[in-house]
Amino acid sequence: MRWNIEYKETWLHQANPTAKLLLFLPMFVVIVFVHNPNVLINWTIGFTVLFMLFSGYRMKHVLLLFMPFLFIFISTSSSMILFGKGETTWFRWGLVHITEESFYRGVHLGFRTLLFAIFGLMFALTTKPVLLFYSLMQQAKLKPKYAYSFLAAVRLLPIMLEEFQTVHQALKVRRAAKAKGFRGKLELVKRYAIPLLSQSIRRAQRIAVSMEAKGFTNERTRTFYYEVTFGKYDVYLFVVMFVIVVVGYYMADAFPYVAIKDVR
Amino acid sequence: MQKKGLKLTDVLTTVVIAIVFGIVYKVWGPLYYAVKPLGLHLDQLIYGMWFIAATVAYLLIRKPGVALLAEVAAASGEFLAGSEWGLEVLFYGFVQGLFAELVFAAFRYKRFDVAVVSLAAVGSTIASLVLDFYKGYIDQLAWWNLTLFIGARFVGAIIIAGVFAYSLVKALEATGVTQLLRPTTKEDYDSLDK
Amino acid sequence: MIHIEQLRLKFPGAEKRLFTDVSLSIQKGEKVLLLGPSGCGKSTLLQVMAGIIPRSLDVPMKAKKLHIPKRVGYVFQDPDAQFCMPYVDEEMAFVLENLGVPREEMNEKIAHMLQRVRLRLPHVHVPIQTLSGGMKQRLAIASVLALEPDVLCLDEPTALLDEEGTKTVWETLKEVAEDRTVVIVEHKIDHVLDFVERIILFNEHGDIIADGPTHVVFSTYRSFIAEQGIWYPNVWETYEKPKTAQQPYAQADVLLHVQSLRGFRQKEEKIAIDQLTIYAGEWIAVTGENGAGKSTLLQSLMKLIRTEGDMYWQQQPLANDELLYDHIAFVFQNPEFQFVTNRVDDELAYASRLEKRPEHEVDDEVERLLERFHLNEQRYLHPYQLSVGQKRRLSVAASVTDSHRLLLLDEPTFGQDAKNTFALLEWLEAYRQQGKAIVMVTHDERIVSEFATRRWIIENGKLVADEPVAPRMFVRGGIG
Repeated sequence: MRWNIEYKETWLHQANPTAKLLLFLPMFVVIVFVHNPNVLINWTIGFTVLFMLFSGYRMKHVLLLFMPFLFIFISTSSSMILFGKGETTWFRWGLVHITEESFYRGVHLGFRTLLFAIFGLMFALTTKPVLLFYSLMQQAKLKPKYAYSFLAAVRLLPIMLEEFQTVHQALKVRRAAKAKGFRGKLELVKRYAIPLLSQSIRRAQRIAVSMEAKGFTNERTRTFYYEVTFGKYDVYLFVVMFVIVVVGYYMADAFPYVAIKDVR
Repeated sequence: MQKKGLKLTDVLTTVVIAIVFGIVYKVWGPLYYAVKPLGLHLDQLIYGMWFIAATVAYLLIRKPGVALLAEVAAASGEFLAGSEWGLEVLFYGFVQGLFAELVFAAFRYKRFDVAVVSLAAVGSTIASLVLDFYKGYIDQLAWWNLTLFIGARFVGAIIIAGVFAYSLVKALEATGVTQLLRPTTKEDYDSLDK
Repeated sequence: MIHIEQLRLKFPGAEKRLFTDVSLSIQKGEKVLLLGPSGCGKSTLLQVMAGIIPRSLDVPMKAKKLHIPKRVGYVFQDPDAQFCMPYVDEEMAFVLENLGVPREEMNEKIAHMLQRVRLRLPHVHVPIQTLSGGMKQRLAIASVLALEPDVLCLDEPTALLDEEGTKTVWETLKEVAEDRTVVIVEHKIDHVLDFVERIILFNEHGDIIADGPTHVVFSTYRSFIAEQGIWYPNVWETYEKPKTAQQPYAQADVLLHVQSLRGFRQKEEKIAIDQLTIYAGEWIAVTGENGAGKSTLLQSLMKLIRTEGDMYWQQQPLANDELLYDHIAFVFQNPEFQFVTNRVDDELAYASRLEKRPEHEVDDEVERLLERFHLNEQRYLHPYQLSVGQKRRLSVAASVTDSHRLLLLDEPTFGQDAKNTFALLEWLEAYRQQGKAIVMVTHDERIVSEFATRRWIIENGKLVADEPVAPRMFVRGGIG
């Protein structure tokens, strides 16, 4: 996604978008089946370092982007820490029951979310949508009708945001931009949604018609303006990730931070 | 008449609407986290917003596959906008959309009422809970807390992705823009000869 | 080239058929204009000729014979709704990809096409969003030319452009369409008449009432064409404007006074005005290039964006923004964005109900407005279901209440036909005569010279001229 933040093109940007997806998505499954917090802590450190060094963004911006994650970390871990099951009680006050087990489980969950977030950010910040969909068409055989629909929708986003501003102003002038009560609030959401959605629907229809009028068909035999291929950077990425995952896993066994090896 | 599968118009309209909801999904994240630390799972009441793309798109376009596509597209939009959950949202989007789609399929894509979309919302809720079970150890919560958690999520989903989605589409129908989205019927063709 | 026999077509859910047994044929190389009142189905017919219906749009139709060309180039009305890619080169490439042009040849072809429509850009990788409406339409023409079409279908390609854009787009079209078959649907026909050789005229039921050489149809059906609100050449000369237009208003007291006003978007200063005074009975036209800051000025006066500076209403400093909305009404360019209810009558009642006026008073008010703005037949419709002209009237009627004395309008005649434009101008003139003031952004020089009493010219976010407009003499009849 374009963030309007300056960045340098690094090898992470050069890597094939489909390759990135193929490497990142399975990590979700792998992470879900890891129950040892030590492993997750190591991985978090490893991938954070990778991100900071090679995302091509200035440190100041990276830190700014990481800010919300801290909040998420606390927020995700808190319910499990406060209300989770456990044997070794540390603290009890009314419904709140903090145990050693629930504490580590909470922290583990926090790291899990953090890792997902890092992968997401790493992908989003180093991948141009246009190249992503061109790559998906060429490497993953995604049907053109889906790929170009996504691209058209992405193009419409700034237009829609501008329209949202205008609707807001228009409602303000008519004193219709505020509402009281639950029902009123729902009506208000509709008042914003109807003009925006109906405009989007009409525009989507027109764009589809104009695309077909320009000779678009859903056949896969088409040429591509951007040729996207797999390359050496995909191998780099694979190797780096492999090293982080394997080293992190064994270090967790050899030099654990906490004694708990399974938070379940 | 209508060919099999989704036409470009259907796909594009679905994706555009879904991406609008994708932005809502993204904005919903911080809101969700803001109410979350309150602890008592009030956040779960607003979780249903993340199912709404599937039900709205289905009600608008009324074709097989639309609910799944919409939910995946909305999740992609949320992801590309830099979601706090990162890649996770793609999995959730896919599974939630799939469960909603299965509900519509169970009714053979013939019903478009508030009951069916509410059921689809329930389907998406179940999907999200299954993933949460693996990802979030929710079974390790104290039982009273877990009950509150699940109950709030179901209730919120039915209100937002069921009832509200339905009334939103009704309001859109009144504007007339939905006319061209719907598949044409044999009666429409017959009336040419009257 | 095109041959249609006994076409029948009906939109799903519509009460009546749009076409009943319409037949026509067009020969190779002909330049044809489809003309008729809005809603008569010209655009739909064009879409049938281009094969868009039923290939892309599933609209029930049948015809005894239907021969349409294989390769059609279609230019649509809305510049924002005919591209799927974010950048100029990518959009052009999209068409070439559809045609299966090898990648190596694309760059050269793209440059060539852009050259043909005289779209000169610093670089081909320019975001489409940064282009003006006229440039976007020329880009659309370029991508259509890549198809090497036998027939060009032009569906009001300049309806949403300003005068400058309209001119350049038609110049381009005339150049590239010289040796092709061309079918045009258009409401603003000044630029088209010398180009087309044949007019097919429709009535409001979608029947063909005339078909023949341009000058014959045009002179025989002149009054019919005028009645339909079509912008034909000299339309202003035949128009009788109200006698009061541009006459000074007797009690010109100060309404709004603004001192060192600055308006910001994000953190950027977009408009800076030293001082401004608006008097009762004024009609101020705001003109200037696209992007000069005209709309931003209106938004700043209404404090819809972040502003700094002092504002005085009838010599009193304004305590808060809410008060502003009591005195000043604002009509947006897109009327749909201002609608807040599901029915025309509710829309008209909204402001009065907000003031908690008794329901019988509200009813009387609604009846009066329905009558005044000719919306009686549409009273139970959803505002979105109205025609373009009706939507505009409704947005004005619903936005303006008795407490308002200043009305701001952002290009209110944009995309409106002649009939609706004149009706709106007349209403505004009557409004001015009640001691109210009007500030209106417009690109139409004719409106400025016929109706405005003062003109502001905006350039780069600055007010560079603030001058009275000399009243234009009222000429009866004109060329008729």
